[in-house]
Amino acid sequence: MPGPTSLERLYDEHAGALFAFLLNFTRDEADTRDLLQDLFIKLAREPGRLAGVREERAFLMRLAHNAAVDLMRRRAARDRTKDALAADLNPFAPADDPDEEVFRRELAAALGELPAEQRAVVHLKLWEGLTFEEIATVLGLSPNTAASRYRYGLDKLRGRLRPLYEEIQ
Amino acid sequence: MNEFEQRLRRVPMKPLPAGWRAEILAAVPARPAAVRGSWAGRLNARLHDLLWPHPQAWAGLAAAWLVILLLQVSQRDGTPARAEKYVPPSPEMLVELRQQEQMLVELLGPIEVRDADRSRPAAPRTQRMCIISG
Repeated sequence: MPGPTSLERLYDEHAGALFAFLLNFTRDEADTRDLLQDLFIKLAREPGRLAGVREERAFLMRLAHNAAVDLMRRRAARDRTKDALAADLNPFAPADDPDEEVFRRELAAALGELPAEQRAVVHLKLWEGLTFEEIATVLGLSPNTAASRYRYGLDKLRGRLRPLYEEIQ
Repeated sequence: MNEFEQRLRRVPMKPLPAGWRAEILAAVPARPAAVRGSWAGRLNARLHDLLWPHPQAWAGLAAAWLVILLLQVSQRDGTPARAEKYVPPSPEMLVELRQQEQMLVELLGPIEVRDADRSRPAAPRTQRMCIISG
């Protein structure tokens, strides 16, 4: 049974990636915190969940994604105004260079305009470096669906960021 | 991965706020049973504590019980005792039953008629009395 020590290890090893994924998916820092806390409480209550799991990161990402989807469904039902605010959130670290900062803000805005499921695939591919098979496992999709969502998402980002990207290069 | 994807990939995500670690881990229960206040939760925790150390052994035991149960059910279906329980009625018995049924119908028949007579209005009886007296 994993005790507090192993929970601490899980936190230290995976919470950063889970935070980035949840923040990019929900576009809300308070929701991200709640989801992350709920995830660790769940792991403490049901220690058997991680038994026999080979890819801890992918498994935790899956749990986080499922919880985030539930949360967003509830949110969609009760609060549509939050969606408008979600696009403004910047999930990226601030940059010292003003041009880079503008690029990051534009990238954040462009990501915010993607449907959440496309954004999840793009995030897992680009910032987690997962394969389409791994993404499919995490998000409960077929690898083909994951690949096509990634292509659609990337095309939209490219279209939106091309002028800025070419200017910076 | 093309140049554009590489470029995006180099953009670092916002770091996890440092203060969250202590807050989140403090909210996590120290022992699984401690957060389970309900009776069902405590039972679940006890069962989990009991079963979890050797899940394969428990699964094997459950499988063995299942096999025993299946064997028991399959044997019960084929036992002669169960086959003997159902004996088709003989023709004599059928005749006897029909006779008893007939007798019952005959016995019940007059009662129904009497009941019907009782519910009739009193007028005909008066008429019969008139005939008798006349």
